[in-house]
Amino acid sequence: MTPSAPIASDAPPLVTTKGLGKDYGSVIALADVDISVPRGSVYGVVGPNGAGKTTLLSILVGIKEATSGSVTLAVERERIALVPDTPSFEPWLTAREVVALARSLVGLAPSAEAVEHALRLTGLADAADRANGGFSRGMLQRLGLAAAMAGEPALLVLDEPAAALDPAGRRDVLDLVSDLSGATTVLFSSHILADVQQVCDTIGILRAGRLLFQGPTRDLLAGKAAPAFTVRLRPPVDGVVEALEAAPWVHLVERPGPDRLRVTVTSTDAAERELVRTLADAGASVVGIAPAEVDLEHVFLELTG
Amino acid sequence: MNLWRLEWLRLLRTRSWIALAAVFLFFGLLGPISARYMEEILRRFAGDISIMLPPPTPATGLEQYLGNVMQIGLLVVLAVAAGALAFDQPSERAAFYRSRVRRVWTLLAPRYAVATLATVAAFVLGTLGAWYETIVLLGDLPVGGMLLGMLLTSLYLAFAVAVTAAASSFARAPLTIVPVAAGLLIVVPLLGLIGPLRDWLPSNLLGSLVGLVVGVPPVEYLRPALVTLVATAGLLWLATLRLQRREL
Repeated sequence: MTPSAPIASDAPPLVTTKGLGKDYGSVIALADVDISVPRGSVYGVVGPNGAGKTTLLSILVGIKEATSGSVTLAVERERIALVPDTPSFEPWLTAREVVALARSLVGLAPSAEAVEHALRLTGLADAADRANGGFSRGMLQRLGLAAAMAGEPALLVLDEPAAALDPAGRRDVLDLVSDLSGATTVLFSSHILADVQQVCDTIGILRAGRLLFQGPTRDLLAGKAAPAFTVRLRPPVDGVVEALEAAPWVHLVERPGPDRLRVTVTSTDAAERELVRTLADAGASVVGIAPAEVDLEHVFLELTG
Repeated sequence: MNLWRLEWLRLLRTRSWIALAAVFLFFGLLGPISARYMEEILRRFAGDISIMLPPPTPATGLEQYLGNVMQIGLLVVLAVAAGALAFDQPSERAAFYRSRVRRVWTLLAPRYAVATLATVAAFVLGTLGAWYETIVLLGDLPVGGMLLGMLLTSLYLAFAVAVTAAASSFARAPLTIVPVAAGLLIVVPLLGLIGPLRDWLPSNLLGSLVGLVVGVPPVEYLRPALVTLVATAGLLWLATLRLQRREL
């Protein structure tokens, strides 16, 4: 496989959809979805079960037809590689044969080096000559990735790529995706929001077939999350929780640990003025106060909840 | 590795070539023997009842072979073909192929061609076995009639695999494709009940091997052969059209 040069950030998007819709009779899977996948980006598609993520990816790779709207691809279909969440191949093919076949399907010349490279990259070099029928689900997912990589895709579409992998395998896949960033455009759907936050520079949030947010991950984390503070106290903290919940500028009080509170507020200004006073009035022994680190999970729950 | 080699490996590694060869060869060797000794076999089970059969001819040996092989053998052909042609099952495997190959015909052609060639090879093997045993036990068979009969019967088998391809565009799982294809192949001869169609049906080719051996003029099989050719092409076109439009 030949590494491509990084792609200029001002290049036109690789994938654009306009008013994309898909229904199955009375069930609406996608409604009016406009996405724009920048070239060279790692675009994360997140959403709860049934949000339409797999349907969206299936339409983009051409294995499902949209009911309405349009898809514009700035890349030939043969240069798009899909890795489904549970890849499946003829069980009597060896891993090496699957990867070689994947190259041939997209019209690339046979190359033992490219096949070997893809197998090594995905940690399957030792199992290259074993029939994939005996592979675990995690190994099949690696094989799906190897088959995709061997096709030298311009757009790599990964549907829940780390769902069946052990922690080390998951780490490998995330590293692989991170390495591709800039050279290959990656469309990545996942339920594991920490993974999405870690590797995706652009994000689209789907719920019930509708796109709730699309944009750079950093914008989402900075702009969409309600402000929150982490407060560390010496127990007991029950009275403190009640006092905070009674304050009009407090939206939610959570207890992620026995001596830790996460206070989501409606106004940062009010919290900065009132939080310390409210804690003091409640007789709290305060160990520390800090702005809560915003994570994708909280933003996601706020948007989809 | 390419799609043609994939089909060759499917034939070898799923052992489907053994199933095809075994069933055709078994009936090929059994047919002439059962024709030669039918009277003795029946007499053994009939007790006091006297059974008189006309003396077996070389054509009787072929009839016995074809009678068996075009029922059980054909079912094996449909099963093997359905296994190769059900490429939208499971959907994750279909996604591997369909997301990379734009034209369904690219996927369909090697699957159809290899399944047909394997079927014809097994049929030729079985027929050669039947031919040899018939000569040994019952007498000579005309070479020209045998070769033309094998060609026409092979054409019918290619039609049967095309029926399976068309059935795979209506059903997804092999277990569903086989009964759909078998049903279609059973319906075709029934069209013969409509008088004018009788001489045009592909199923007439099933009798061509015996017919040509007993002296039926080859021209009698021209119309069904042409219909079978056109129908085979039409069925493959229908399968391609429907599979191209089918979503995963």
